[in-house]
Amino acid sequence: MATEATKSKLLMSGFMKSTQVLELDGCTRCQECMKWCPAYAVRPDRPGVAPMQKAATWREMLGKQRGLKAKVLGEEPLSDEVAKQFAEELYYCTTCGVCSTVCEAGINTVDLWEAVRPNLVARGAGPYGKQSAFPKLLAEYRNPYMAKQEDRLCWLPTDIKLPESADIAYWTGCTAAYRQQALAVSSVRVLNALNADFCMLGKDEWCCASALVRTGQRDLMREHAVHNIDALKDRGVKNVLFACAGCLRAATIDWPRWYEGYIPFKTQPLSAFLRERIRKGDIDWRQPVNLTVTYHDPCHAGRHLMHVSSKDWAFEAPRDVLQSIPGINYVEMTRNRALQRCCGAGGGVKAGIPDLATDMGKARVADVEEKGAQVVASTCPFCRRNLMDARTAAGSPVKVVDVVELVAKGMNLDTTIPENPYTKYQEQDVIVCDPICRPAAVKQKGTDLVIEEREAK
Amino acid sequence: MAFYTLGLTFELVILLTVIVLGMWVYGIYFNVKKWGIGSTGYHDQLRYSFWLFIATWLHEAFKDGVLVFLRTAVLDVLLLRRTLARSPIRWGMHMAIFYGFLTLAALSGLGLMIDIVEHFNILGLAEPAEMAKEALGLPFDVFGYLLLIGATIAVGRRVLLKFVRDNTTAYDAFLIGGVFLITITGFYAEWMRGNAFLVGNALTYSIYAPHFALIHTLLALGLFCFALPWSKYIHVIATPLTLLANRGGE
Repeated sequence: MATEATKSKLLMSGFMKSTQVLELDGCTRCQECMKWCPAYAVRPDRPGVAPMQKAATWREMLGKQRGLKAKVLGEEPLSDEVAKQFAEELYYCTTCGVCSTVCEAGINTVDLWEAVRPNLVARGAGPYGKQSAFPKLLAEYRNPYMAKQEDRLCWLPTDIKLPESADIAYWTGCTAAYRQQALAVSSVRVLNALNADFCMLGKDEWCCASALVRTGQRDLMREHAVHNIDALKDRGVKNVLFACAGCLRAATIDWPRWYEGYIPFKTQPLSAFLRERIRKGDIDWRQPVNLTVTYHDPCHAGRHLMHVSSKDWAFEAPRDVLQSIPGINYVEMTRNRALQRCCGAGGGVKAGIPDLATDMGKARVADVEEKGAQVVASTCPFCRRNLMDARTAAGSPVKVVDVVELVAKGMNLDTTIPENPYTKYQEQDVIVCDPICRPAAVKQKGTDLVIEEREAK
Repeated sequence: MAFYTLGLTFELVILLTVIVLGMWVYGIYFNVKKWGIGSTGYHDQLRYSFWLFIATWLHEAFKDGVLVFLRTAVLDVLLLRRTLARSPIRWGMHMAIFYGFLTLAALSGLGLMIDIVEHFNILGLAEPAEMAKEALGLPFDVFGYLLLIGATIAVGRRVLLKFVRDNTTAYDAFLIGGVFLITITGFYAEWMRGNAFLVGNALTYSIYAPHFALIHTLLALGLFCFALPWSKYIHVIATPLTLLANRGGE
């Protein structure tokens, strides 16, 4: 029989719904997920990372504590070593959800992996690598970049005037606020040009805390969700626009799980909002963006939300926007929409297992190159960062930008980023229009930021 | 009936059936209680309760209304839409096994009922019951062959396709091997009795036909009570429940 010591370390310690335990037995082991899993595709020597195998391992581990043998002979204590080994397999996963899309049994694998992870965290077997820094950083700084909250709007052009409250709010997101300010500037420029009456939370915008849920470290989530929702409510917001897929997913799916009151606003991808305005004829295109562009569907805005918002918002809106921009030659990657290949950044992989993230990103960059695209556009700053890293590692000429930046260029808006304390940390490709629009990369040279192609001239 | 010539009596068969059903019911109860180790919602405490699972499952399955439940039941559970979307061959295999297996199980249950009517001459229906039992021969053959086709594809897929073979474990092999074994012993038992569908008298061996029929029956009963709740066979129940709880994954 199990001792009190081993009993006190039950495998299941929280946050797993009983229908999720059912899902473990519902797996038909058809192996379809193994054909699509982007992590297994770049780590074929580690079959344990494949979704089907992870479900099997967890089922077997549970069986040792709750199965027939455990009932007859007593629970088998789970060693920390076994738990650690499983954690390694479980965290080799971006929770991209393609396994769920192709699952014959309709298992919601994203929720399943995210429900298993806290159990391992509670045992001390998770999270993985640098992922453990997320809660500390968010508790201290309210963002993962150790930046000052007071600087949230340091990138905001001085001519943009923001009301204290409005029906529409633009949610910047930590990465756009501190590391990819070209996206933030482009977004407010476009909204401003459309005469959209929008506000921003500024220092009251805390990290969406998506990384906490993704990595199974949920302790701080309630605090962030409640704070952000209340801050938006205080400003009377009815529609929150997101140019960050990770924030969008967190605000749409995760926050309501931690918030007990009524949430009066809806969440909307900025691309869906822009498409509405394009259809109304509100956008004045002023210059062609003569580039061959493809679109990378972020998992968080695509598969994660396709059944929550709609497939139209998830997949078609950004494509429609891109194809509306004059001059763009749009090409589609072979794996797209619900069957898209994950870039490798999500689920804490970028922080915890960067080499895996890069290898997965390289596979996606190869998908882009296969179609001859010069630019891959996305609506996720985190996908963008990883695709840029992978592009550089692969020595590919592909540039990575956000859909909104291409819109801003098509509208010939000034997207100059005002000098600010985070200028030196900028990490983004940009669109340069002199006289025709082309993609370029911002590189740091000494203390200055220079645009790669201009420097070459 | 030749089946009862090996020392088996009708009463013994009924007793065996009741025991098997009892064990099966306990096995299903055990699994449902195991599933009930989870919580009812995202933040609720874990429990370990049969009724907790039932309540959670009902809540999830009907979350989007009865129409969505029915749509999922028809398209995803009965027609295996998600499998069809990914692989028509695997869909064909699964449909053949699913409907072959379920129909044979239902026919076996019906056969037992008819046996009871015949044995006790309930309402004086012994003779019509005997005729009805004869009439079950054709559906038994048709769905038996359906199951055999499905099981053969399943075994072939696991053996011939390298990727599939490499990722097959004993957990999978036990299920597919078991289905194939029971199906083929059932057929062989029929063939040994003679004048069998498609085979005729080619494999007739009447002396040992009852023995082989008994082996087949014991295997099938063993599968039902000893294997179904405790192995991958549980997916026969767990997968439809999962599909319904997740509204078809949509």
